[in-house]
Amino acid sequence: MTSNGDDAAKVVPVRHYGQWVASLFALVLLAMLVHTLLSKVPSQTSQTVCRTVGGVRTCHPLMVWRFGWDVVGRYFTTADVLHGLVITVELTLIAMTLGIVIGVVLAVMRLSPNRLLSSTAWSYTWFFRGTPVYVQLYFWFYISTIFHSLTIGVPFTNITFVHLNVNSILPAFVSACVALGLNEGAYMSEIARSGLLAVDEGQTEAASSLGMTRPQTLRLVVLPQAMRVIIPPTGNELISMLKTTSLVSAVSVVDLFGATSNISAANFQNTPLLIVASLWYLIITTILSIGQFYLERKFARGALRTPPPTPIARLRSDVKGVLGKFRTARVPKGVRA
Amino acid sequence: MSTSGVTPMVEAIGVHKHYGGVVVLKGVDLSVARGEVTCLIGPSGSGKSTLLRCINHLEKHDAGELRVDGELVGYVARGGKLYELNDKQICGERAQIGMVFQRFNLFQHLTVLDNITVGQVKVKGIEIEVARAKARQLLARVGLENKEKHYPSQLSGGQQQRVAIARALAMEPKLMLFDEPTSALDPELVGEVLDVMKDLAKTGMTMIVVTHEMNFAREVANTLYFLDGGVIEESGDPRVVLSSPSSDRLKSFLSKVL
Repeated sequence: MTSNGDDAAKVVPVRHYGQWVASLFALVLLAMLVHTLLSKVPSQTSQTVCRTVGGVRTCHPLMVWRFGWDVVGRYFTTADVLHGLVITVELTLIAMTLGIVIGVVLAVMRLSPNRLLSSTAWSYTWFFRGTPVYVQLYFWFYISTIFHSLTIGVPFTNITFVHLNVNSILPAFVSACVALGLNEGAYMSEIARSGLLAVDEGQTEAASSLGMTRPQTLRLVVLPQAMRVIIPPTGNELISMLKTTSLVSAVSVVDLFGATSNISAANFQNTPLLIVASLWYLIITTILSIGQFYLERKFARGALRTPPPTPIARLRSDVKGVLGKFRTARVPKGVRA
Repeated sequence: MSTSGVTPMVEAIGVHKHYGGVVVLKGVDLSVARGEVTCLIGPSGSGKSTLLRCINHLEKHDAGELRVDGELVGYVARGGKLYELNDKQICGERAQIGMVFQRFNLFQHLTVLDNITVGQVKVKGIEIEVARAKARQLLARVGLENKEKHYPSQLSGGQQQRVAIARALAMEPKLMLFDEPTSALDPELVGEVLDVMKDLAKTGMTMIVVTHEMNFAREVANTLYFLDGGVIEESGDPRVVLSSPSSDRLKSFLSKVL
């Protein structure tokens, strides 16, 4: 009982002993991981370091970072790696843009009442999702062996307007963009379709009743609202694409992974260079994730009464929550022990 | 009822509509004079909403003649043939008919003000500042002048429906269609929407209202139609029809809703 009637009774929160044990276990594992990452081992080249102290000469093996952090640091920002990074980012952005445009067009076609349009869209998705992207990369790389030239003219006649050599217009980089973009279009079409279907039919009817044409309805009413559903999986696709681009080294495009592979082929420092590539991929992914968060917030306008908190606001409330755990739990007013 | 010599705003003669094997309208005849309020009542599934949606061509009727302002809905008659209108022509027809939905259907991603200006600007090509001025004037008329920056999700149902009415009125329609405008509202919010509709009726707007609000029908409507099973069972002055129904179906319907 409390001496003062206004004071709330002291409350003992529920103790979660199981959680404490699990947390301790996780902390030990984390410590082991950090220890391994930062450990040093004797050099594989059997080098030794000798010192003479007070006339006594002692030798011990040269110790190096187990994960070659010094090598990682040395190569992290070399010109070759940075050039590869630029290629990777360019490929990702171009292929993704191409994929999104194709995807939206396919989704609209797929939902069209015209059977020919919808089955064309379905077939496209069926084909490009049904074959490996790796195979498609090679296909577009070798396309010049099937089509030697590209001609724009009237079909089934000899009238031509433009005549191009395929090899000159489809260098490796372009063929990689085309392959990744066309493949991505198939996946994006399903994402865009789910977004379009998620918009209530009443929205389309309201737009029609105002006299909007079908393209206006799509552009002004349906797509902006579909974006809310489309963005999260598209962010996922974008991040996935960033890493899928690492396949292009197979068709002689030197991207980030290609650049680090080339270096490790010369100096045999495989693990450190894999770490260089991985760290860059992680950095770009982090930047993209932050961008996705703010884009989602922008398109959530009107859908939610209160926008989701920014990461900083969330961090602040998390810290408050953790601190609160160490304080006495609050009791509803008027409850006495 | 229309006086002879003046074309009615809406005229339906033997309008049929079916979805697959389900016949919804089985030859509906209806005439709505200019400046009058017409209420459509009837049990669920009787075809009231379908008839309303045929009038602004959200649904295509299968047979019969349907005219708005003397013009055929969805077709143009030339040289003894009916030519189906294209998408753009239908849009032009729809832009002159306002529609208010049961579920409001405000554009969720746009503010109240943008909801009311988007049609004016994109369909009628009115300048944005002029459209905004008109939108503010209409918001004042429906009693929501301080809500222009809100999104629909931040408004109550009654407020959303009043915005929806303002959005339809912004197009300066010659005819307003209301599809159960108060059915999705909490009981205490129904009044505010009906008040706006009563004010609108006083301005001489031609209105067709599908409703279950019998008091509104009695008070405001010039003509009442009772639909059941896809046909007009009974029609006439609402005060007469509602107080002394002649058909058994209307009697049993009224005994359930009143």
